[in-house]
Amino acid sequence: MRYFILLFAFLTQTSCVPLDPLYHTQTYIFGTLVDISIYGEDETQAQFITSQITREFQQIHNRLHAWKPSELNGINKTFADERPKIIEPDMVKILEDVTQLSMQSEGMFDPAIGKLIQAWGFQRDEFTATIPDQATLKTLLGQQPNMQDIVINGRQITSKNPNVKLDLGGYAKGYALDVGLKILNEFHVKNALINIGGNVIALGKHGDNPWVVGIQHPRKPDAIATIALESGWAIGTSGDYQRYFMQDGQRYCHIIDPRTGHPAQGTQSVTVLIPPGLRAGVLSDVASKPIFISPLEQKAEFTKKMEVTHVLVIQEDGQIYVTPQMQQRLSWLDQDAKKRIRALQ
Amino acid sequence: MPKSVFAHFSNFPKPLLGDWCVILLSLALILWSFSTLWSQQPAATLRIRMGNVVLGEYSLMQTKTLSVNGPMGKSIIEIAQGKVRFKQSPCHNQYCVHQGWLARAHQAAICIPNQISIELMGASPAFDTLNY
Repeated sequence: MRYFILLFAFLTQTSCVPLDPLYHTQTYIFGTLVDISIYGEDETQAQFITSQITREFQQIHNRLHAWKPSELNGINKTFADERPKIIEPDMVKILEDVTQLSMQSEGMFDPAIGKLIQAWGFQRDEFTATIPDQATLKTLLGQQPNMQDIVINGRQITSKNPNVKLDLGGYAKGYALDVGLKILNEFHVKNALINIGGNVIALGKHGDNPWVVGIQHPRKPDAIATIALESGWAIGTSGDYQRYFMQDGQRYCHIIDPRTGHPAQGTQSVTVLIPPGLRAGVLSDVASKPIFISPLEQKAEFTKKMEVTHVLVIQEDGQIYVTPQMQQRLSWLDQDAKKRIRALQ
Repeated sequence: MPKSVFAHFSNFPKPLLGDWCVILLSLALILWSFSTLWSQQPAATLRIRMGNVVLGEYSLMQTKTLSVNGPMGKSIIEIAQGKVRFKQSPCHNQYCVHQGWLARAHQAAICIPNQISIELMGASPAFDTLNY
């Protein structure tokens, strides 16, 4: 009987221990799903911190919106009117950072091509399949909008080219990840995970283990692999399966090649893993784009140019290319995929 | 001196050949189940969310059509004996509908414009979040 009492006491005790002190919230900002997990904090405090983060995200979204009235579109308008404009100091930093990254990518990441993105119908919440006619594309390409057309002097901004139309769709979510991490640190949060539309940054661990991130298979409703995301690391993917349309059997994705004015072809997804740093989030968003757009034979070159070491590429034909550093970090779930791996070099 | 806890087991009869067979067979069944089902664990429960609100959890072992109101209108979710899908959606691009049937644990489909997600629950998930 004594043992039954002991057993009963043990069972009731264990059922009182909280299983997983994980606070999880999801919301829709940046036209996508924002998912925040905080581990090991008091629930009220976690709730307060996530509300601070989502409020800040909403603000970034409103300021950088590419097709609604926003601070960014105010700048676009003064470019078109060929007038100078005084901008906020943090906007100066953002645009200087974007220009530097654009130069580093040799123009393969070029947020100045907003007009081209608009022509393909992607500057809408619910975009419609639009194939612009050749004449329109020729005109827009001929205007040669470029980040280097922008001149910033103190807080004053002008553009040498009135056809520059900024679209920070390939930067804003990564920037927000860095801002989110900063807020978490300010509140002395030890363990958290932020996911903005698939771009993820980790802080600390999930209990005794690192946070684990699944990488979406570009053509199946499952994860292709998982990766342990250590504290401070960020991961981002550019893919042709989230925002795209099909016409006459051809897939048109939202990533526009600035050289041709057409949606990039030949690649299903590029995933980059970025080590801890002040702009790990930004790099997780931006660095995958030039690698996605470039042809297979230049992907290794653009990997070097963007100074990333951990890269996973899935090509249209199903071939998978990984850098050795990335291969070491991946745990493959898809056994089929495992057979098609080659080295990216 | 109280009797050791192990003393209680000494009254158990010695296992016979049949018992060993059952034990071995059970072990084999467990190993087989792990190897075949671990990566493709079937799901039993569906969770539907609208924004950050969990609207409900439903058994997958039924035939049922649910209508969920999101910011854009009604999304129709169909449960059919072990699987679930977005049957109709008011969104423009219909990615959620094109995703088709979900049947395995931790599979999810999200209608971003209508802010509705369906997620299949299972034992411990293979990962904390998804990169896409």
